[in-house]
Amino acid sequence: MNATASAIPHDDHHGHGGAHDSHGDHGHHGPVLQYQPGLPLTRGKLIMWLFLSTEIMFFAALLGSYVVLRFGAPVWPKPHHVHLSEPIGAFNTFVLICSSVTIVLALEAAKANKQSLAKLWMVLTLVLGVLFLGVKGYEYSAKFSHGIYPWSPRSRVFEKPDLYYGSAVRARLGEPEIIDRLKALDETAETELSAEQVSARRRLQQVRQMVVSPDQQPFDLAVVADQVMPLPTEAAGGGHGGHAMGLNDIFPWLKLPAVIPGGTMWASTYFLLTGFHAIHVLVGLIVFAILLMYRLGPKRAGMIENAGLYWHFVDLVWIFLFPLLYLF
Amino acid sequence: MSDHGDHPAAAPSHGPITRLGELPAHSAAEAHGAGHAAADAGHDGHGAGDGHGGIGKYLLVFLALCALTTMSFFTYSSLWPWKNEPHVGWAFMMAVSCTKALLVVLFFMHVFWEANWKYVLTIPAAMMAIFLALMLVPDVGLRTRMVAQEREIHMARPSDVRLLEQAGEAQLLSDPAGAH
Repeated sequence: MNATASAIPHDDHHGHGGAHDSHGDHGHHGPVLQYQPGLPLTRGKLIMWLFLSTEIMFFAALLGSYVVLRFGAPVWPKPHHVHLSEPIGAFNTFVLICSSVTIVLALEAAKANKQSLAKLWMVLTLVLGVLFLGVKGYEYSAKFSHGIYPWSPRSRVFEKPDLYYGSAVRARLGEPEIIDRLKALDETAETELSAEQVSARRRLQQVRQMVVSPDQQPFDLAVVADQVMPLPTEAAGGGHGGHAMGLNDIFPWLKLPAVIPGGTMWASTYFLLTGFHAIHVLVGLIVFAILLMYRLGPKRAGMIENAGLYWHFVDLVWIFLFPLLYLF
Repeated sequence: MSDHGDHPAAAPSHGPITRLGELPAHSAAEAHGAGHAAADAGHDGHGAGDGHGGIGKYLLVFLALCALTTMSFFTYSSLWPWKNEPHVGWAFMMAVSCTKALLVVLFFMHVFWEANWKYVLTIPAAMMAIFLALMLVPDVGLRTRMVAQEREIHMARPSDVRLLEQAGEAQLLSDPAGAH
């Protein structure tokens, strides 16, 4: 509003009578003063763009640190090692792209004063956003069920089959709850178990002996790790969700620590990146829910446009996250 | 399109500032409320009428985005010819991602149709992003050979992966039935 301060005294001095618009000064001597906003766009949109440029920095830093950690790590897990499903990721990409289109269509409808149509597109955007988060939640739960957590006490992932791993397996097998379960399992008649369970029970008994054996070799622990949760090989694409059945899959209550080389660092970066992205999605959904309480006519076009700009940015981040996390 | 000439709706609302007798106290609050909505409606592309809009264009961009997603997903399929050279796939996927990002920014975020102010915001941000990427080069180039002792104790090395693979191949505990 600096223009205000200088323009008014000027007009007073010259004492213009009657109406004149801001372009009416051309014939006069002296400096021509007219109001010009700093940038020819609305304040809301300017602020949104400035906010988005800080967001670019934010995600560039996160993605950059991911790239550094990813390529600096001596070992990084393959997507299958950490139970990532590429088709699910691709589906989520598709969902976000669709929601980007629906929000653009909501804006167009609002500009054309088709309020109910605008509302319909907005609701659709909201639904697609919720679907994205739902799929993300499903993916997270799949990680959790395999013991992959971003923080240490809960995470059951070890980077290598060393003595720390052996003692963690031993500690888990020594928990009272597991001792009871194992006892019950040992006493179950073979006829009550499937062939797979019978075989798994035999292997589990051997694993139990191996982890308490005083003369165990590093290779023994690698065998234990392979039994608990085998790493999928390139060749064996089939099986259970892309990996062979380990003891943890056959006896879900077992929850033994597993070995995923590079898995802990992977979990930290994966949950950090997708978590921050999910928070952004959630914020977008709240904004859409608020917008839905208004009439979505031309008067609200500016608000819808700004919400749309934010949403497209969230889509943009996912466009980079998807290949980096799922396909690299 | 020059936006300066494009604000017929905005001009009157900012008008009070140069108009005699009307003090800014009156204008600030309400002119900005009503004026901006009007400015917005009349802004990029003159309302609903035409300009860039056109739902057809958005659908075209949508189809392009879907096609590009399928292309980067193609690197995952067994038909991808460069399975043994991951760098080819990475470069390809980044190129595809940048194209998608460009499409979203240009068309969905309307930057393609915006006035010149877009350069004021995008060029510094782009420069910062490039700068940031360049700052990471030494980290990526030198790799993190120096690690904390605690991490060194626990972190996996390629030899550990080989050990696990050998353990998997040995199948010491599998029974004759071959249930593994």
